[in-house]
Order: sequence, then structure tokens, then C-alpha cells
Amino acid sequence: MIEIHNLTKNFDKIKAVDEVSVTIKEKTVFGLIGTNGAGKSTVLRMVAGVLKPDEGTVAVDNMPVYDNVEAKKKLFFIADEPYFFANANAQTMEHYYSSVYENFDKVEFYKYLEKFNLDKRRRIGTFSKGMKKQLALLLGICAHTKYILCDETFDGLDPVMRQGIKSIFAKEMEERGLTPVIASHNLRELEDICDHVGLLHKGGVLLSKDLEDMKCNIQKIQCVFSSTEDELKVLNGLTVLKKEQRGSLCTVTVRSTREEVEARFATVDMIFYEVLPLSLEEIFISETEVVGYDIKKLILG
Amino acid sequence: MTSKNSFWASSRENHKRRIWVWVVAVMSQMLVYSSMTMIYLSRIKNQYEMGAFRTVEAFRQAMYQAARDALAFSDNLWPVIVFLGAVIGMQGFSYLYDRRKVDMYHSVPVSKQKRFWVIYVNGIIIYLTGNLVGLTTGTVIAAAQRAVNVDVLANQGLAFVWNFLFFLFIYHAMMLALMLTGSRFVTLCVFGALMLYEIVAYWILESMKWSFFKTATSYYLYGNPKVSPLFDCMNEGLDIKNASDAAEAARLCLPICGKWFVIAAVVLAVAYFCYVKRQSEAAGKAIVYRVVEPIIKIAVVIPAGLIVGMIVYETSFNNEMLMVIGMLVSGVIFCAVMEVLFAFDIKSLFHHLWSGGIALAGILAVFCIYKWDLIGYDRYIPDGNEVDSIAISVSGYYDSYWNENFEYISQADFEKEHMFLTDTEPVLTLARQFQAADREKMADARSVQVLYRLKSGREVNRCFMVDYEDDNAQDQLNRILSSEAYKKGVFQDMADVISLDKLVSMTYSNGAVKVTIPKEAAKKIKEAWMKDMEQYDFTLVRENHPCGQINLQYINYISNRMLVYEGFENTIACLQELEVYYPVKLNAEDIDCITVTNYHNELLEQNDDPEDAIARETYSAVGALEAEFAEAVYVDYTVRETFYEEEQISEILENIHPMWMVSEYAAPEATESGYGIEVVFRKDTAYPYERDSYYFNYYFLGGQVPDFVVEATAYEEP
Repeated sequence: MIEIHNLTKNFDKIKAVDEVSVTIKEKTVFGLIGTNGAGKSTVLRMVAGVLKPDEGTVAVDNMPVYDNVEAKKKLFFIADEPYFFANANAQTMEHYYSSVYENFDKVEFYKYLEKFNLDKRRRIGTFSKGMKKQLALLLGICAHTKYILCDETFDGLDPVMRQGIKSIFAKEMEERGLTPVIASHNLRELEDICDHVGLLHKGGVLLSKDLEDMKCNIQKIQCVFSSTEDELKVLNGLTVLKKEQRGSLCTVTVRSTREEVEARFATVDMIFYEVLPLSLEEIFISETEVVGYDIKKLILG
Repeated sequence: MTSKNSFWASSRENHKRRIWVWVVAVMSQMLVYSSMTMIYLSRIKNQYEMGAFRTVEAFRQAMYQAARDALAFSDNLWPVIVFLGAVIGMQGFSYLYDRRKVDMYHSVPVSKQKRFWVIYVNGIIIYLTGNLVGLTTGTVIAAAQRAVNVDVLANQGLAFVWNFLFFLFIYHAMMLALMLTGSRFVTLCVFGALMLYEIVAYWILESMKWSFFKTATSYYLYGNPKVSPLFDCMNEGLDIKNASDAAEAARLCLPICGKWFVIAAVVLAVAYFCYVKRQSEAAGKAIVYRVVEPIIKIAVVIPAGLIVGMIVYETSFNNEMLMVIGMLVSGVIFCAVMEVLFAFDIKSLFHHLWSGGIALAGILAVFCIYKWDLIGYDRYIPDGNEVDSIAISVSGYYDSYWNENFEYISQADFEKEHMFLTDTEPVLTLARQFQAADREKMADARSVQVLYRLKSGREVNRCFMVDYEDDNAQDQLNRILSSEAYKKGVFQDMADVISLDKLVSMTYSNGAVKVTIPKEAAKKIKEAWMKDMEQYDFTLVRENHPCGQINLQYINYISNRMLVYEGFENTIACLQELEVYYPVKLNAEDIDCITVTNYHNELLEQNDDPEDAIARETYSAVGALEAEFAEAVYVDYTVRETFYEEEQISEILENIHPMWMVSEYAAPEATESGYGIEVVFRKDTAYPYERDSYYFNYYFLGGQVPDFVVEATAYEEP
């Protein structure tokens, strides 16, 4: 488990990260969402032990990570622009990483390279941006660390490769309990990967929740009430996050379980009602609007 | 088998990314060592073929010396060492400049400390490998030509250690520069500052000292920068290079090596401390530690402003107002440039005005210290109780000096080594009376150089003007010049530096003759002269000109002289006994003619109005064509007259003295410098004048120009 407590980091007079507290559980895919400049990379670099926090702590399996080799053995950090040695090829990088990560699996690495059609002898400098990201991910996966920290790594991957990496993540999570931490500025990139999402804005955490919990606890209902009394009777008993009325068709977003909602609506005679599936985007919109932010501006542009 | 995370596994991985540095280190040193060996040895061989060596042994020794010059303390290698130290230091840790590299290196499970030592040790391995490959190649080439012996190998060993320490200092300095900065350009600037700052600061302070302190002198003491590798270390290397053999080289080398080892270790410790404290986000910044920015700014702006100030001062003919303006304006500009460099942003020109203000105040403070002598430099006169001994150079006696090894040394060095005046009071009295005195008010101002050796071990030197006409000054100078300690510090023959066993020849001269004295008589003459020297004091040299000079020629073409005065009865008697004494006065029957040149200085001084001065300046400054034009305003007052009549010659001879035997201590009016005299001997005379010369130069004694000479050389308007 990675425990981030009251993490603060300033660059000169700019507060990049402001009292961030997040817990990243094992065997989950943790998504770190935020706009450019929200502090995602800074948080990840602190988690990776690259940056020293000004305040607060980062503990990887109860070990402080900064300048701690034992903690770093459990981490592999893929920066937003991964660095490869000048004139290096995949083989060269494998040689280096296998010299620093004790459990680096060379066999698996070359197997994956073949699978992803990456030539081990081709100069990395001639790789496309996506290929470089694939290579960095494969190096990270084969380092066999417990945690892999990916900073904007999925941005720019084509859907096929994305799916391929996703399936490797799933396999590694199942086989050895890999915990990927993925930072992205694009909510849609993480929707189908993450189990838990933390939303960063202006250096602070707006929310951090399990996706499943969020999905289960927020319901969107399209309905047509028979009368105003029925409407009041149903909605008064629910926590309404949002309500839109177009003619007689009412769309409401409420914080509640599906069972509770259905039980509530069953108490009155409805002309029409339907519980709709919520996208991650909609959940975020609802959740952040509650705390007073317009998520559309923050994440979706 | 090494474990995956061992030091050597990391080292091997690091080496893979430093291949080009390996190539540069090996190739450059191999090239220098082998090419220099070949060039030096072939030069000796060519000289041998041209018959420059009398014996095969001499040729062999020259070959050994050439091999030593090329392979031991080779100054050809030092620029390469500076280059390699800088390149290896910068390349090893250059990942710290790049955020992407920092992200990778600092996230992998390798400790900061281990990474530092891996890179550091690899840098040393790269240098040493290159050095050993180059040295081995050069030695093989020299050995193939039979130019290697034990002495060459021993010198190589010493040079290897010395070169290594020199490399370490440069390497560590570059590492320190890199740890303090976040970009290559700024690193190079800081490295340059570390290399040159002391020299520049020293140069500025020395320049200001010379410009503002009237008692400043470099006689006896000439300070040098102490920790500047580009100056001090190389200078010391040259000293060792000139050692006669390996034993002497070792004697010189080992203490210096110890000093540089300590300095290099201190720089490494500071660099390591900065590395440990350096945070990853420093990549790309100009200066890593914000807190040192104002310190660097102030440290750079003050000397930079002072340099500009001094340049303005020199070029504006010592205009202090312009100097101050120049310093302040350049100080403001340098402050702005530093801020732009720190922030890499042109808009930050006038940030941190407070540190700029401190820098400008610093510039002004330094100026004030020198301008108004706030440190009391010119007022410094030690208390008599503080002084252990004194060396003094009283303007008036000059000679060539040598040490026991027959090597030329300066007069100051000789005096410093041999003169220990423990009767300090006369010197201190002169200092108290004249140090602050106005030289314009002195009748005959002459400079004296003083070295105070204090009981604390400190040495202080000063110079000031003394009025030779002043009665008290004459009393004090008499006490000084008559002392045994003074004479031993000025006259080599009294200090017994070089034994008479090494004497090759001895001659006596009265300004016109040069006669050989038998070598066997050297000891006797010297004893007589030493006895006569007991009467030597200031009054003697002030009021008398030497009447002759004994020249002693030693081996290795070195020589010195013993001046003879009319009162030196023992010496003169000795010379007379040997029939080599000739009075300074010449006989008219030996003289063919005397030509007198009257320069009419009095007319030059009368007409010295500004226009003429400009005209004369033009005359001397411009070329031939322009000079023709300038001649129109330049008036030549020189009048020459040759006298053939014996009576006139006789009268002139009564009143002249050989030009080069005029006492430098004498009052200016003791001779008539406005006249030049050329004495030509008869060809058929038996007088043993030096036949190599056609004429001999003399001066009229003060106020003794015969009237017929004055009349004959009077200036008439054309």
C-alpha cells in the first residue's frame, strides 16, 4: 500500500502540491486525474522518490521512499517523457534495468517485445512516441516491481496497444499483485482501466474514491411523475445531486443505491421511470459539482 | 560473480555510457606523450648528428633529459589534464541537468551515494587508464631509443602522482561547479570563476594597491595566488620540472602534492555535500541553491565593477571621478546580467535590487579603502619591539647576483637571503621621518625598499623616498651602510657566496684601462679590500666616486665586482704592488683629443612651453615623413667641440670622471650631466687602455667645467 499523507511541494514560490492525502491500495489500478499543472506529475515523482516532499510523507509498504533503495525496489516510474540512453536499443535498456532491478524478467521482456512487434536491436531514437511508451511500459512490467507509476503513459497509445497493455496489467495483477498508478489529464483514458480514482486540482485532492462505490452510490433516473405530490414524495426522501426538467420528462441524479431508488419510486404511481447507466465522466461531473467545481472546465475541456 | 546491484555492476553499466570519454582520455594522452617523446628525442638526435655533443655520454644525458621533459613533468600535458578534468567531471554528472534523466536515475533503486561514487571512481579510472596508456606508449618509444634510465622512471613516477593530483583538483572543481548549477553554460561560468577568481581578485587588488598606495612595492615580496590551479599549481609543476634529478624533484614535489591533495579533498567534500543536498528539481535551473544567488552575484559584480573602474582610471589618466562612474554603471549592468542569467528571463533584469545595492556598496567600499587608505597601508611602520630583522635596499648600488649553484638571482632575492639588520632603529627612524613626507619638498629624493621581518614570522615590505640631503637621513644611512649586516647583504664577496676556488680571472679597471690581476693574488686583494670596506658608509659613497673596480670572473660566465675608492689604501697598495694600479686621472700626453658635447639642457628647460613639448612628442612619436614636418618646431641645441691642444686637454682631464664609475649615491650636482665627454687615446701611447674601444665616456665633475669649454660649446642662434 502507498500512503500519501499531507504531501506538499513548492517550486520556488509556486505551490505545486498542497496537502495531498491519498491511499493507494494494493492490487488496484489507481487513476490520478487532473488538468495540466494540477500536480499529478509532482505527486508521482514524489511517490517515485525523485522529489523530496517539502511537507508530508510518502510511505511505500510503510517505508519512506525518498532516498530509500528498499522502497524504490518496489516501484517502477515511467515519466511522461521516458528517458532512454543515447543510441540505445531495447536490449541496451534491458541490460541497464536488469542491473538495477533484481527481479527483472529478461525472458518475459523479449517475449513481450516480440508480441508488440518492437525490434530489440532497433535504435529507440527511431521509435515513434507510442512505441517508446510501449517500451517503457514493458520495461516497467518486466522489472517485476510491486508498483508501476505511469505518468501520462497511456496518452497516445492506440486502442489495440492499450488493450494489450491493459490485459498484461490484468494478468500481472492477478499473478503477482501488481498495482499500477496511472496519471492522466484525460478522464476517458482511465475509465476502463481504473478501480480507484483521485482527482487533483490546483495541487489539492478534490476527491478520491473507488469507481465501483461511486457508480453504485450515484444513480441517474429519467422519469415522468403523475403529479407534483408524487414527485415531492419520491425526491424528498433522496439526496438529489442534480435535477433537470424538460417538459414533463425529469432527469435526476441522486446519491443512493439502485435498490433504494427502485424502492422509493415503487411507492408512487409513475407514468415512466428508468435507471440509466452512468459514465465515469457523469459521475465526476456530479461529484465535483457537489463540492462546487465545474468538472467540465477542469477535465473535459 | 558480481551481484546485480554491486558497485562494480553499476560501474560497468556507467562505463557503457562513457565510451566517448574513454576514447578522448586515452587518445589525447597517448597523442601528447608519444608525439612529445618523438619530437624531443628526434630533436636531440638531430643536434647529435650536427655535432652539438662532444661526447656520446653528453648525448645520452641529453636523451634522458628529453625523455624526462616529455614523459615526466611535461607542461604540454597540463592543458590536456585541465580539459580532461573538466570533460570527465561534467560528462559524469551531466544527467543532473536534464529532468528526464533525473526522473530515471533518481527513481531506480540505486542510492544517491552509490551513484555518486560509481560515477566519481569511473571518472578517475578513465583518466588513469588514459594516462597509463599514454605514459606506457611514450616510455616504450623512449626505451626503444635507449632514452630511459632509473632517473627518468623515478621522475615519471613523481609526475604521475603530481599530474593525478592536478587532475583531481580540476575534476573536483568541475564537479563542485556542476553541483551548484543546473545548466551547462552556467556550470562552465562557475568553473571558470573557480579557476580564475583568485587570480582576477588578486590582480585587481594589486592594481589598486599600485595605483593608490604610494608605499606599495613588489621588491622583496611578490605575492602570488595560492589555490588557483591554472597559475599556482602549474608554476609549482614548472619548478619541479627544473629540478636537477629525481631526488630533488621528490623533495620539491612531495610537500606540494600534500598541499594539493588536501585542497582537492576539501573541494571534493564540498562537492559531495552539495550533491547530497541537491534536489532533483534543480535540473535546468541556473543556480541550484537560491540562497547562494545573491552571494554569487555580489562576488562577481564587485570584481567586475572594479576591473571596469581600473580600466577607466588607467585610460582617463587617473581620473577618479570617471573611475567611480565607470564602476557604478558597470556594476548596475553586471547586476542586471546576473539576474537574467539566474532566471533565464530578460524581464528579471532588476530583480533583487537589495543584493545589487550591496554589490555596488561593496565596489564603493573597496574604492574608499584604497582611495583614503582606510587600512593604514601607507602609514604602516612596525614598532621596534615587533621587528626581528630588516633588509633594506638603498638606492645607489646595483650589481648582478648569483647563488651557490651559480644561478642568477635578483638583487632583492640576494638581499632578502643575506641581509639581516638587527639594529632596526635607523631604518625605522627613516620610515617615521620620510614615509609620509612629500617628495616634492625633498632636495634629493631617493627611494628605499624595506623588508620588515616581524617576530611573529610575518614579512612586510614597503618603499618610500628619503632625502639624501637631509642631515638626519645621512646619519641614519651612515649607521645602516656601515653595518656589517648591510654589507653582507649587498656585497657578494663579503657574504662569501661563491668561493675563490671557482675564480677564472680577475681584472682591474679605472674606466679606461683593463689589466689582468694574477689569480694567485685574489685572496690577498680580497682581504685588503675587505679591510678597506670597514670604512664604507654613506658619507663615503655620497661624497666620493669610485676610482676603480676589480672584476672577478668565475666559472659559468658569472662575475661580480669590488669597487675601489681613493681611501682604500690597502687595496690600492696591493694593486700597486702587483703593478696593476692605474689612477683614475689620465695624463694629457696619452690623449689624442677630447670631444665635449654640450646638450644645453638649460635652454631646453627654458623653452619647455606646451607647444614645444607637443612638437617634441610628435617628433619622437611619428615616423620619418612626419618628423620632417615636426623638425620645423623642434630646435636642436646640441653643440659639439673637439679639443686637441695639450693644455686644454690637461685642464679637462683634471675635472672629469669615468661615466660608469660615477657614484649613484652622489648628489645630482656632483656631475655635470648636461655635458658628454669622449676621450680618445693616442694610438702610439704605451698607456694600456682598452684597445677595443675607440673612445671612453666621462663626465665633468660638478661645477668644474673649464671656461674655455663653456665658451667653445656655447649655443648660437642660427
